[in-house]
Amino acid sequence: MKSKPIILIGLFALPVMLMFQVAIAQENASSVVSINLQALSLEKATMCEGIKDYAPVNQSVAFSLDIGKIYCFTAFDIVTSKTMIYHNWYRNDRLITSKRLTLKTPKWSTFSSIQLREADKGPWRVEIQDKNKDTIKVLRFSVTD
Amino acid sequence: MSMLTSFFTNIRWQDILDILVVSYFLFRFYVLFRGTNVFRVIVGIGFLWIFQRIAGYMGLIVTSWAMQGIIAFAAIIIIIVFRNEIRNVLQTKNIGAILWGFSHKAAKTPVQIITSVVYELAQRRIGALLVIPGKDDLEELIQSGVPWGGVLTKEMILSIFWPDNPVHDGAAILQGDRVTEVGAILPLSRRSDLPSAYGTRHRAALGLAEKSDALIILVSEETGHVVGVKGEHIEQIDSNLALEKMLRTDSGMSSDYTGLREKEKLSLALAALAIFLFVAGTWFSFSRGQETLTTMEVPIEYMNRDPNMELIGSSLNSINLDLSGAGTLIKSIRPEQVKVRIDLSKAVVGLNEYTLTSENISLPPGIVLRSVDPSVVDVTLDVPIVKELPLQVDWTGKLPPGLILADVDLNPERIKVMGGRKILEQLSTIYTEKVALDTLKSSGSITVKIALTPASLRFAEDSKDRLTINYTIRNKLPLQ
Repeated sequence: MKSKPIILIGLFALPVMLMFQVAIAQENASSVVSINLQALSLEKATMCEGIKDYAPVNQSVAFSLDIGKIYCFTAFDIVTSKTMIYHNWYRNDRLITSKRLTLKTPKWSTFSSIQLREADKGPWRVEIQDKNKDTIKVLRFSVTD
Repeated sequence: MSMLTSFFTNIRWQDILDILVVSYFLFRFYVLFRGTNVFRVIVGIGFLWIFQRIAGYMGLIVTSWAMQGIIAFAAIIIIIVFRNEIRNVLQTKNIGAILWGFSHKAAKTPVQIITSVVYELAQRRIGALLVIPGKDDLEELIQSGVPWGGVLTKEMILSIFWPDNPVHDGAAILQGDRVTEVGAILPLSRRSDLPSAYGTRHRAALGLAEKSDALIILVSEETGHVVGVKGEHIEQIDSNLALEKMLRTDSGMSSDYTGLREKEKLSLALAALAIFLFVAGTWFSFSRGQETLTTMEVPIEYMNRDPNMELIGSSLNSINLDLSGAGTLIKSIRPEQVKVRIDLSKAVVGLNEYTLTSENISLPPGIVLRSVDPSVVDVTLDVPIVKELPLQVDWTGKLPPGLILADVDLNPERIKVMGGRKILEQLSTIYTEKVALDTLKSSGSITVKIALTPASLRFAEDSKDRLTINYTIRNKLPLQ
């Protein structure tokens, strides 16, 4: 009869342990959600001559003025919440324009563009920044004759 | 009056030293060459120069040119024609004598022996010709002399001119207390105004005297007269006292020796004064006369920079100086004589402003600074640092139609550069030199130079000045 109290304790302890395990699992699950809320994964970033069917056309690093307009295309494969990014266009290290773009869940592609003029010839770069102005990627290209 | 005061207050100690040094050199030249033909020719050239200046002033163009030509060749002519006299002056004197010595005859002529023997020769009607050289070299004037070198004594002179002696017809050359040559043939004078009583011996004495500063004592065989010849001057000497005086005067040790030395001193002092006045006058006419203005663009030199700092930039690389001075001095200014220096020993990191004054500018003597334009220079200094920066190709031109530069891969992608902290803080990219697209037709690779801008940047030790571009070219897709 000595084994009865042990069995009783075991019967009582088992559900308590199960409760603890569930609690820990729930806590872990909530922390994953929290991380995913801030995550932003850049799948593709490129300079191109045009956008067709939500995809960049004629990706390049040197654009002739004849094209008239150029695009900076960015695609994010993980967007956990609605957020924004910046496309900062620099010519010769001088900021020419900064475009604010919205990203939506779960994945999102977006682009910015500029109209080319004669005075725009030279080396350019576009810095892609998140909402906190942290640089995610830098694209370098030239505008030529 | 104020002009006169300003004239004298503007004289620098260098100007006085300048005049004194040139005056002394000219004075030494006078001391060494006085009485020689070289000196006479140089004086002649001096007059020629004055004449040329006057001709130029009067607008006599051809005359002025001709004079200039002659003067230009004068130095060469003097050296060639008078090489022996110049050599004589320079070789027979040590450097001390050339620089500050006053030469007198090296050995005292035994005047009493000569006087005594000359009148004995005259009494015996023995013809004689004694040459006492001055400063001129007689080597090229005298021919066929027999070297002797004996001590001058009464008996020796008598024996030289004794009628049976083979050398008695020639002249004896006396140097101090020595007979250096006997039987010497002297050049004959071509003068036509000589008395008919004068024979060959007289003409020989005159011939040498005309061409040198030697004193020649002649004893006539026919008349027994004693004649002294110096230059173009012939003097019959009737008494031994007169001959002694002549010899002493010539050798600078006459009975009135002190008086003569005083006279010589006075003569030298007057020459020195004349030379000083001439040089001073020439200097003032060069440096103070004919005021001329000019503007020079002069590069700025920076000095005493802290080695830990770097000169990043300056508002000016050169400045314009308005200068004035005598036309001759202005024309003779060489660029390296004019310097503008800024002392950076007290400079700090960042912008430094310097106002240029005459202390920053060094000019050749006699040139006056009128103004500086601009007078303020901004100099930027910085502490050099090393920074790693991404590289980017600076494409130019255009690819052939239908092609697109799809991608590039750079090797290396980043580079370390060294430069001023402030400049590098503002730089985020280093570009290549311009790379032309026009010649690219298919994918490949090229090596291009990296362009460092601004020029104050340098490559860090482990960085190269070139990078390799691997590029991919594709066919362009239609946009529509």
